[in-house]
Amino acid sequence: MKTKNNVLLYNIAAVLVGLVISALLLLFMKVNPLSVCGQAFSKIVTDGYNLGEILVKATPLIFTSLAFAFTYNANLFNIGAQGQFTMGAIIAVALSLGLQSVLPTVILLIVVLIGSFAGGAVVGGLIGGAKAKFGANEFLVSMMSTYVITNFMDYLLRTSLQETKAEYMQTDAISSSAYLPNIIPGTRVHFGFIIAVAAAVGVWVLLNKTNLGFQIRAVGKNRFAAQLAGISTGRIYIISFMIAGGLAGMAGLTEINGVQHMLLRDFNASIGSYGIGIAILANGNPLGCIFASILFGFLNVMGTTMGRLPGLNIPASIIELIEGIVMICVIISYAVRGNVENKKKKALMRKAGV
Amino acid sequence: MAVPVVELQHVTKCFAKVVANKDVSLSVNEGEVVALLGENGAGKSTIMKILYGLYGLDEGKILIRGKEVTVKNPADAMAQGIAMIQQHFSLVPTHTATENIILGNVHGFIPLKDYTEKLEKIAAEYGFEVPMDKPVGELAVGQQQKIEILKALYINTNVLIMDEPTAVLTPQESDNLMTFIKDFTAKGNSVIFITHKMKEVMAVADRIVVMRNGVVVDEVRRESTSEQELARLMIGQEIVPPERTEEAISENEVLTLENVSLKEKHNAKALQHVSFAIHEGEIFGIAGVSGNGQDDLCDVICGLKKPTEGRILLRGEDVTNSSIRSRNGRGIGYVPVDRYRDAMVMDMNLAENVLLKRCFDKNWFNKGFIRRKMLNEYTNRLIEKHRVKANDYADMAGGLSGGNQQKVVLGREVDLAGNLLVLNQPTRGLDMGAVDRIHHVIMEEKKNKKAVLLISTELTEIFEMCDRIAVMHDGEIMGIYRNGELTTQEIGLLMAGVSLDGEAKGE
Repeated sequence: MKTKNNVLLYNIAAVLVGLVISALLLLFMKVNPLSVCGQAFSKIVTDGYNLGEILVKATPLIFTSLAFAFTYNANLFNIGAQGQFTMGAIIAVALSLGLQSVLPTVILLIVVLIGSFAGGAVVGGLIGGAKAKFGANEFLVSMMSTYVITNFMDYLLRTSLQETKAEYMQTDAISSSAYLPNIIPGTRVHFGFIIAVAAAVGVWVLLNKTNLGFQIRAVGKNRFAAQLAGISTGRIYIISFMIAGGLAGMAGLTEINGVQHMLLRDFNASIGSYGIGIAILANGNPLGCIFASILFGFLNVMGTTMGRLPGLNIPASIIELIEGIVMICVIISYAVRGNVENKKKKALMRKAGV
Repeated sequence: MAVPVVELQHVTKCFAKVVANKDVSLSVNEGEVVALLGENGAGKSTIMKILYGLYGLDEGKILIRGKEVTVKNPADAMAQGIAMIQQHFSLVPTHTATENIILGNVHGFIPLKDYTEKLEKIAAEYGFEVPMDKPVGELAVGQQQKIEILKALYINTNVLIMDEPTAVLTPQESDNLMTFIKDFTAKGNSVIFITHKMKEVMAVADRIVVMRNGVVVDEVRRESTSEQELARLMIGQEIVPPERTEEAISENEVLTLENVSLKEKHNAKALQHVSFAIHEGEIFGIAGVSGNGQDDLCDVICGLKKPTEGRILLRGEDVTNSSIRSRNGRGIGYVPVDRYRDAMVMDMNLAENVLLKRCFDKNWFNKGFIRRKMLNEYTNRLIEKHRVKANDYADMAGGLSGGNQQKVVLGREVDLAGNLLVLNQPTRGLDMGAVDRIHHVIMEEKKNKKAVLLISTELTEIFEMCDRIAVMHDGEIMGIYRNGELTTQEIGLLMAGVSLDGEAKGE
């Protein structure tokens, strides 16, 4: 229990250090970091809409970070959450456009939810299958699959899914009957956030309380021992990747039916890579993914707000810089923590020994 | 009195979890063989790795010929004329002997022929016959060891540290090694010999340093001691071997192997026509130098590998092609040789490790959810029953000592093994207390009418425990004997691949 608290403490400290370093970078833009951050912060907390945006931005990140965290527990690296998300989004928009005039909202959304999960799961299943059957490197296969699917999406946007006007590479907007319901009036926060939190809790329960989760963790921690226990590692690889892909795919539902209401080129092109960072920040813990995603949602909104501060000309892309620095600090903190704990133990031993 | 060649003064070394050495002082004189005797985990290897520069020391100092030195890495040690032969050899298997020996000591253009000649001369001095131009991976272990020794001789070593050098050798190869040690020290060099075998100590050492739990317990001269005294010093307590009851072997065959062969890409003779049967209540021992097909035999019995030829029967049923899972379900318990790799998940707690082998048994789950309470209580009982030194089920497996980990594994497997218990070197690397406990558990299983396959490289263990003994060499069973039919000498010959009518086999 004690080490768990320590991890949290180190993480918080690392995030703070990262933020301070980032703030210092503002000095290069010849602005006062304290006042800029102060202004942006007060703008966010005093405005309900901005506060809501934090959760809106966090929602897809919870899914993509879970997609990485889940396979991480099986000691597999799913770098392809972006592609799995894109596949989910394609399915979500196609199902919504095709069925919105036929099905009532609730049933439509359930169908889209299942469809987007299945879309991501198929992509994930192929990656896991390649690993299980041919011993392919899942890191590379999943990474490359993203490019394939992105181009597949572009192809669809130019052909069967293109808007009726056939002008831009985007789909028609889905009708409001296919929207995920809003849950906080005055903001854009939609029901997808609740689905995301429920998914994270569900993943935690699956991993820690069930037989399947136990087998996944056993394979992840020692596949040789798992194999001798009769567990088929290939089967676990495929199942893990299918679930991870499905989780990423569900972000397609929340982004299409909850936020954008259409699919267009370069749709949320970086949530996959953020998901990896967030999952590492959370140390692969599904519940940690919720909070780490909200932190990144906050940073995202903070960056946008800073960019909009009048007369300062701070580029909104500063946020990517900040997120990068925070990530690096967190990763360094793991090394530092390992070192410190090792030294402590050693000192204790020496005391006890002499 | 002459200044010792090497002297360690009050050396202490701590790792994150254990004090490996505490206030260790010892010295080696010119021309002397010092044996470091102790059980596994007594800190013998650690103290020597400190001298060789593989580990840093936390306290104390190292003196060489009276002068204090700092040894930061093996290069420093070699510069002082110290060389160490690790338990696991550091050779490049695809390189020839010459290439291996000069590795790291040459620059630019390499006149291989000159080096080979030079090395052959050194080898001749000690009567070593080693093919210099063959990849070392193709050579026998004994020859590989000679190459390691040549490596040390090549850099003009005068203090040679050997870590458990006889562990992988046949008795005959060991005798050759002893002769070398005597020749080597006769020239004024010194040898530090790490071992836990008292016989070797009595054969070769001038002075014996006994270690236990990281400290030096005593230092004796060979002339003034006996094996009994050494054993007492080493163990610190009396060990009562479990009683073996001589009785007729049951007729009911539990495990039957019929002409089982295994060919693999890198090893066409992994197993050659192995046939035997183990009966109810019988402990069937397999003796042999490790790496002669014992691991493959286990893999084939437990379902990890499918034999290329032959049949495996479990209580008369053909299980040759059944999966691991179905064999586990039929009551085969298996304690693999590499606990860390194959038996436990070190980052999981004990309860989860107990669950590992039961994850296809529906009794432990309720609609897919783990029955935690039942599992935890069961694990606690197992800990108590097998006297595992752990707080409770929530302890991490990796936090336990090797002996206690093994007790958990054995406890788990015993309860799963309705029919057959396969044990591959179950006591390797364990302290005497744990060995004792494990032997008692095995004897109990024998009384419970289970069939036990016990693979061991320790002849004493084989003689103490088994009803019948098979000797394995190069994937082949050299013969099956009743316990008591064979002398140590005869078993030694069989282990080296020489059949008892005097002919070498298996070439």
